[in-house]
Amino acid sequence: MTVTQPSSLPADAPLQEPAHQVSPRAVRYWALQGFLGAVVVWAVLFAVYWFVPDGVRQWLGPVFVAVIVYTVVEQALEPLIRYRRTRWEVTGERVFAQTGWLSRDQRIAPLSRVQTVDTERGPLMRIFRLANVTVTTASAAGPIRLTCLDTDVADRVTAELARVTGQTRGDAT
Amino acid sequence: MTALPPPTGEPLAVEDPGTPPVPPGVGGAQDWQRLSPRMLLVHPVRALMSMLVPLVLVSIGANQGDNGVGLWFVVVGGVLALVFGVLAWFFTRYRFTPEQLQLRTGVLSRKVLTAPLDRIRSVDLESTPIHRVLGLTKAKVGTGVDSTQIELDGLTRDQAAALRVYLLQRSAAADVEATDPAAGQEPGEEAHGARAGSASRRGQDTELARIDWGWLRYAPFSLSSLVVVAGAFGVLAQFGDELPVDETEVAQQAWGWVAAQAVAVLVAGVAVVVVLGWVVLSTASYVLNWWNLRLVREAGGKIRTTRGLLTTRSQTIEETKVRGVRMTEQFLLRFVRGAELTALATGVGGEGTARLLPPAPRRVVQEVGHALLDEDGPLTMTLTGHGPRARRRIHVSRQWGTLVLAVLVAVPTWWLDVGWFGTWPWWLPFAVLVGLGLLNAVVAEQAWRNLGHALTDRHLVVQTGALIRTREVLERAGVIGWVVHQGLFQRRLGLADLTATTAAGPERVVAPNIPLGLALDLADATTPGMLEGWRA
Repeated sequence: MTVTQPSSLPADAPLQEPAHQVSPRAVRYWALQGFLGAVVVWAVLFAVYWFVPDGVRQWLGPVFVAVIVYTVVEQALEPLIRYRRTRWEVTGERVFAQTGWLSRDQRIAPLSRVQTVDTERGPLMRIFRLANVTVTTASAAGPIRLTCLDTDVADRVTAELARVTGQTRGDAT
Repeated sequence: MTALPPPTGEPLAVEDPGTPPVPPGVGGAQDWQRLSPRMLLVHPVRALMSMLVPLVLVSIGANQGDNGVGLWFVVVGGVLALVFGVLAWFFTRYRFTPEQLQLRTGVLSRKVLTAPLDRIRSVDLESTPIHRVLGLTKAKVGTGVDSTQIELDGLTRDQAAALRVYLLQRSAAADVEATDPAAGQEPGEEAHGARAGSASRRGQDTELARIDWGWLRYAPFSLSSLVVVAGAFGVLAQFGDELPVDETEVAQQAWGWVAAQAVAVLVAGVAVVVVLGWVVLSTASYVLNWWNLRLVREAGGKIRTTRGLLTTRSQTIEETKVRGVRMTEQFLLRFVRGAELTALATGVGGEGTARLLPPAPRRVVQEVGHALLDEDGPLTMTLTGHGPRARRRIHVSRQWGTLVLAVLVAVPTWWLDVGWFGTWPWWLPFAVLVGLGLLNAVVAEQAWRNLGHALTDRHLVVQTGALIRTREVLERAGVIGWVVHQGLFQRRLGLADLTATTAAGPERVVAPNIPLGLALDLADATTPGMLEGWRA
């Protein structure tokens, strides 16, 4: 037997959430982004419904209604929940980000191991003056994304990260 | 997009006294060198070999009365390949500057590949039978950061040997210069440096392992030869249509009994042939790949493996870049207490892994692994399991597949009465549900029993897998971040997938379905300080 089960487990206290929330405008951005995606889905559904024969419509109809109801509910809930759960923090020597609305993803990396810091603004994000900051390490498994920051905050964070990581020596592996 | 300057801002001191001179025969600094002209003989042979199959096919066609146009195509193609090979040789040059190895290559589109000498982490030498006849070697040079390797195909054997020693000494000398003050905060980094130092101070080669032909008995239990056998069987299946199996139906009435016997004999015969083929092929591939295996810790802290019967391979990795090992015990190998050993390293190309031992006795694998890790225990110690909630989660997530498949079978069986589906008996979905359910239950239980983790003074140990049990040992100083992921169902159970990110091997070590409290304790203990301030 190479594995023994623990007789008692430590308390499942989760990590404290990172200190900062994302920009409040992110809610509207996510809502708009989700809405555009949903419109495409609805259009496809209606087109399919239009062209299939009557016999198939009978049982395809309820399925489509269920899909539409789901997208509407998701539209209503997702941006708000996502806003509550998406958080980030940069301390003197570490980055910590939390993402996900149904699941939860918490990523931590010390700045001494950071290799690049990228800032990214999509066309839709620019309307809301938002930016993503992606911090990569030498591991493909560990990029940390600070999503939907206010552009000013993003610029400040990027500059700060560039300053701190520029001081590190070695190849950060 | 703000690309940061590389962590080492300025190039390291070039004229440090530890730098050995460029070895004779490899070429002086600054001079562009061509690969050995003997490569001009290799190219025709390769062109001929690639032409062989089409040539045979075409000549068969020609015998059957076609005109010789096909033959001309093949000959012209072969000549073109030859000319291209010569041109490629002509346009391929390499040189050493004080800081870099540079390779210029490409006939139509030129490109220049460079590797900073002080970042070179691995040198692999490979000789196919053609290379060996001509006394040539192909060298592959890997740096710590990129996963691509620079290939010098066609050095003479002496040049390659000198190159290997030179490149690795050069980078080792640079590493001494670059002793990292910022790394002080990483746990175990000092211990790591001390280890590399002590290894180099030993100043002589130590043999860690050597092939023992007694291990050959493990060859048939290795699943990696399954691919080969399956391929061979696929070819045989092409002829399978010729076998007189279908005729049993014709002869059913008069010769029913005789035919049944014949089928039984045929099936038994095929089974024997498959098993024999398996044993022969797996043994042959074992011998070809692992002939003369030696695993050596060289002076200066390098790990070197040499092996191969026809194609010889030599792989040298800097020991400081070996961040851990992986012990794999396949389903069949576990029955005979066998295992395989792989190194997790940075800058070795491909998956970041280097095979160290073939299927061998588990005891040997553990001893060699421990010698390599310089720590006893990680491969033999009892691990901490992930408890009853993990068991529940693994079983439930496994059975989703059963349910989906049962539904997929149930729909055509009960509601689609057309064609072939009409012949499916009504109980088929239940049979699928029970059969697959039991199978998945067994697999899930195995997965849970194998699942565990541990922490030693210098290493993080995680074991996973149901059919293939895998124990990964990662140096704590090699952990460069953490990901705590909780899916919706995992959150309700207080479980998480804990990922230690690293630059070595597959770039992550994942402990799935670990209770959240255990996960955070483990992460905190592995890298003290990294979670500080965020623990509740």
